[in-house]
Amino acid sequence: MKTKAIGLAGGVVFGFTLAWAHLTDPHVIRDMLLLKEPHVFLIMGSAVAIAAIGLRVLKLSNARCIVTGEPVDWTVEQPRTRHVAGSILFGIGWTVAGTCPGPLAAMIGEGRLVGVPVAVGLLAGVTLQGMLAARKSVEAHTPARATAGL
Amino acid sequence: MWLDRCPWYIAGPLLGMVIIGLRATVNKPLGALGGYIDVTEHVTRLSRLGFSAFLLAGIVSGGALFALTTGSSSPSPSYSGLLPSDPVLQLAILVVAGFAMGVGARSAGGCTSGHGLTGMSLGSPASIVAAMTFFGTAVALAHVWAWLAGAAS
Repeated sequence: MKTKAIGLAGGVVFGFTLAWAHLTDPHVIRDMLLLKEPHVFLIMGSAVAIAAIGLRVLKLSNARCIVTGEPVDWTVEQPRTRHVAGSILFGIGWTVAGTCPGPLAAMIGEGRLVGVPVAVGLLAGVTLQGMLAARKSVEAHTPARATAGL
Repeated sequence: MWLDRCPWYIAGPLLGMVIIGLRATVNKPLGALGGYIDVTEHVTRLSRLGFSAFLLAGIVSGGALFALTTGSSSPSPSYSGLLPSDPVLQLAILVVAGFAMGVGARSAGGCTSGHGLTGMSLGSPASIVAAMTFFGTAVALAHVWAWLAGAAS
């Protein structure tokens, strides 16, 4: 329960900041992609730089989580085809909609209901991809059917 | 004006602190996509919604809080000049764009926040490749689109 409360609180700060920085405005995102909006790159760059330093300090000091008590730790992934293929599709949707999953949620919270159809599509896409991935993993784990008669 | 729009040197560090804060308290990544997945998987049993869904609910609430504090809620058409103004066509385009993002981000394992902010700050090679790919695709497409729109008008 505490973990969920922390998630909610972190989300509130995240969503408020996105809205305050105007990242919930599709025009700002489109201008960023047209490289007319250095502001957004500076936000992302400084966020990544600060988080990278903070996370390393936590890991190197063998910190334990304040709430859960578990050691602060994470694993990283090696790039695979799905990271590239999926990100190409994601990048296309991002350009067209002028928003992505985080800013979209904050945008709807702000009362910009024009984000609702994007969220409906997003939820459908996430569901379909989940079903496709599940089917693929079942196929990968069942031996190929015997091809009788050949 | 400062209050109208948060300057980058406040917004960036705030986002960085959220990433550090979630890691330091509950060892979780900041990523919006997981919340949508959590919602679709537990829509019939809402009591089983986890951290990701609460994070997403927080993001919606944060946006609402901003609109309430500033009184600047702008339900005005947000896509004027970006997409065709015909309402039905615009609606269809937005649903399809959302769908592409959903399929794409889930197969890539993250979105702008999960890969672009969290994964990049963790130094994850998959996230760096994913972020370079979606930024590259989006910047290229936005330029082609602007060029086509310019040529057509």
